[in-house]
Amino acid sequence: MTLINQDTKLCDIILQEPSTITVLDRFGISLGVGDMRIGDACHEHDIDVNFFTTILNTYINESYFPQTALLAFSASRIIDYLAKTNEYYERNVIPNIERHFAFLISKTPAQNNNLVLMRQFFDEVKTELVQRIEDDRNKWFPTIALNEMRSIGKMPNPVKDVEDINDPIEEKIDDLINMLIMHLKGDYDHNLGYAVITAIFSLKKDIKQNNRIRNRILMPISQALSQQ
Amino acid sequence: MNDFNVIILTHDTLKAIGLRSIFEATFGISAYIADEHYINTFSTTKEPHLFFVDYTTLITNLGFFLPRKAKTVLLTNEHTPSDDFQTLCFNDSESDIINAINTFLTGGHEEEKNTTNSLSQREIEVLRLIASGKINKEIAQELNISINTVLSHRKNLTAKLGIKSISGLTFYAMMNGIV
Repeated sequence: MTLINQDTKLCDIILQEPSTITVLDRFGISLGVGDMRIGDACHEHDIDVNFFTTILNTYINESYFPQTALLAFSASRIIDYLAKTNEYYERNVIPNIERHFAFLISKTPAQNNNLVLMRQFFDEVKTELVQRIEDDRNKWFPTIALNEMRSIGKMPNPVKDVEDINDPIEEKIDDLINMLIMHLKGDYDHNLGYAVITAIFSLKKDIKQNNRIRNRILMPISQALSQQ
Repeated sequence: MNDFNVIILTHDTLKAIGLRSIFEATFGISAYIADEHYINTFSTTKEPHLFFVDYTTLITNLGFFLPRKAKTVLLTNEHTPSDDFQTLCFNDSESDIINAINTFLTGGHEEEKNTTNSLSQREIEVLRLIASGKINKEIAQELNISINTVLSHRKNLTAKLGIKSISGLTFYAMMNGIV
């Protein structure tokens, strides 16, 4: 997709990349967007256009690295966005996968313990994800916010590019998906199996896309702030 | 054996029914009698384990059966050795037919296993040690191989199984009775 700017219509973004529905939701924009353009939506919801387009472009395009725009918006805004993302995982995505898994296992013959083991593997992924969310909430985000407050009135440090880091959670979700696709055996309800894998796929995609926002936006800003 | 999927494709209805009853009565397997429409609308999502086909069906659909040679059995009226396909002769005694089918079933099963899970014995050993919490150095010592060889086995395991993380590999090992 071509880069998003203030003249891009919200409906065009959603039509081309439906997963942005959740991103827009984190900014308070719900479905029923009509033919509204980004600029007008930002004005209506009191969102910084530059910030909004940077988040969307980073979310959608793997090859997009925001640079010059970086310091134009505050760390707290990104923290606010990522905290909402974390909340969305905790309240919606994780319970949704658990529900689908429970339903699938309840409809699967008892002798097929494959799915029970895969569910246990998912529990492990969940524990790590929840731990990371806790660390964000109690350690990383408050530290960045504090550093940002301390930097008020000071000359900003140059923000340096940070390389994407391998995320062990993303890796494990990939493993779980491959287990379901390549190694599932025995009888199971196909429709419910599809629901489980679709839910996990959507978590994987969202984590991958938001990792870019963590690694390419928040991480460099947080490093620049910590050197103040 | 409930999920074992057998397809019978022959123009001879009586033979098809006879074969189907042998599967049901002797092996507890539901065999499905299909016509050529089945091949035209075939979907790979539910790939059967074995096909029993008559000569005409086989010849007219060679493009379909050649890639499935290992799981195709040609139904014949006499013992004509075939280099390409396994055969089942209708003129054999009942016990010979049952024995032959038994061989196809176990053979077919192994074939299926080999194509979906072609880990070497060494890779299975490495996987078992990974799953029991051993680090590369310990695995190398235990199997008396170099760390580089361990790494190469691990790389192959990941490539074959699509699983990278240690806990993922451990769960795979549990699912397959390796630990």
